[in-house]
Amino acid sequence: MHIDWWTLGLQTINLLVLVWILSRFLFRPIAGIIRERQAASADLLKKAEVERDKADLEERQAEQDKEEAERARGEVLKSAAKEAEAEKTQILAAARQEADKLRAQAKTDIERLRQAEEARSNRQASELAVEIAAKLFNRLPRNARIGGFVDGLAEAVAKLPERTRAEIGAAGAPVMVKAAQEMSPGEVTALEAALSKVLGCEVAVSVTVDPELIAGLELEAAHASVRNSFAADLDRIANGLTGDGQE
Amino acid sequence: MNGSPLELEPLFRIGPVPITEPVITTWAIMALALLFSLLATRRLELVPGKLQAALELVVGAIDHQVEEVVQRDPAPFRPIVGTIFLFILVANWSSLLPGVEPPTARLETDAALALIVLASTAYFGIRQSGVSGYLKSFAQPSWAMIPLNIVEQITRTFSLVVRLFGNIMSGVFVIGIVLSLAGLFVPIPLMALEVLTGAVQAYIFAILGCVFIATAVGGEAASAGANSSSMQGNST
Repeated sequence: MHIDWWTLGLQTINLLVLVWILSRFLFRPIAGIIRERQAASADLLKKAEVERDKADLEERQAEQDKEEAERARGEVLKSAAKEAEAEKTQILAAARQEADKLRAQAKTDIERLRQAEEARSNRQASELAVEIAAKLFNRLPRNARIGGFVDGLAEAVAKLPERTRAEIGAAGAPVMVKAAQEMSPGEVTALEAALSKVLGCEVAVSVTVDPELIAGLELEAAHASVRNSFAADLDRIANGLTGDGQE
Repeated sequence: MNGSPLELEPLFRIGPVPITEPVITTWAIMALALLFSLLATRRLELVPGKLQAALELVVGAIDHQVEEVVQRDPAPFRPIVGTIFLFILVANWSSLLPGVEPPTARLETDAALALIVLASTAYFGIRQSGVSGYLKSFAQPSWAMIPLNIVEQITRTFSLVVRLFGNIMSGVFVIGIVLSLAGLFVPIPLMALEVLTGAVQAYIFAILGCVFIATAVGGEAASAGANSSSMQGNST
């Protein structure tokens, strides 16, 4: 076997130089950029991890905020429902009170109207009764319209107090009498006799005619008035019906 | 290849130094490697282009292989192992160029490569364990193994030379013979096979060199040694 030692030496040197060339100009830059990229990737991963942790934290925070908001919402809803219920109760109470008030007012009005209507009906009834009675009395005979009331007038005068009776026809003054119609002399005489009897002294009467009386007599004194006429009776009846109550 | 494959005719001389064809081809490869390295690494970016990505893939693959064998940071071993692999690969494939004889088809080039591996083994072994520690490693597992370990160092280096030389030289010879006997396109399948053989031989030489270095620095010596023995047998 023949070996060219010069070539062997040159090739050894060449290969060592080539090792240096490739190491210096190829492997080192390439390995450097790979290392740089790995560092950049690691840095990016680290940043991404930090960002992920941050995002996780924010997500947890957001979830907490959401739960807090839900809870607050629930509380607000509960409070609103409570307030609404209270307000509803209050409004219902006020409405009920108002309705009661209106109902009471309506009852009062109805009662007042009923009473007014009743009074009006009574008044109409009394007026109708008076009218009917007046028409009926007009059918009576004329002498019954006066003569039938003489005794009644005398009885009424007799029921007057002593002092009042003494004033009637005192000092010869005529007794003022209203009659429903012109009295006949006989009726005047009978009246004077009846009055004289109850008064205890002779009296004369001065008669004035008042058709409003319908029938009967009425005596007018200084401090007393004795009404014994049909108009006076009808007035009493009407007052009794309408509740005015004055006799 | 006109004469014996073991003989070299100097193309010219620089003083007393004969300059042969393998040296010229190696110089050309070195010049191309320098030019390519300068151009390829001129603008390296964090977001790589196609060429940068391919280069990173190659460097990454070398680092991965070295790391698997040495079981430690591949950076100190990358220049030696990577250069051996890339040089043998390019040298083997240079036979595809018309008129170019691959330097690895010459015994001197393969011997130079094996010497560099041997020197690297000693260098990394001493750097790792010191001179005495490295020398003591020859006495493992006992003093009686010293002669055998020394012989192993020599024989495995010699086997590197012979394997690479035999495979590449034989391929060149076969293609040359077929080309002289048959037509122009007949050797093409053999040349394609030679491309595969060249890549495989580059890989085997680089990995075996790496295993020897790993043995010296205390890597996975036993298994790698066993693997290297089997690979030697298969490739030859």
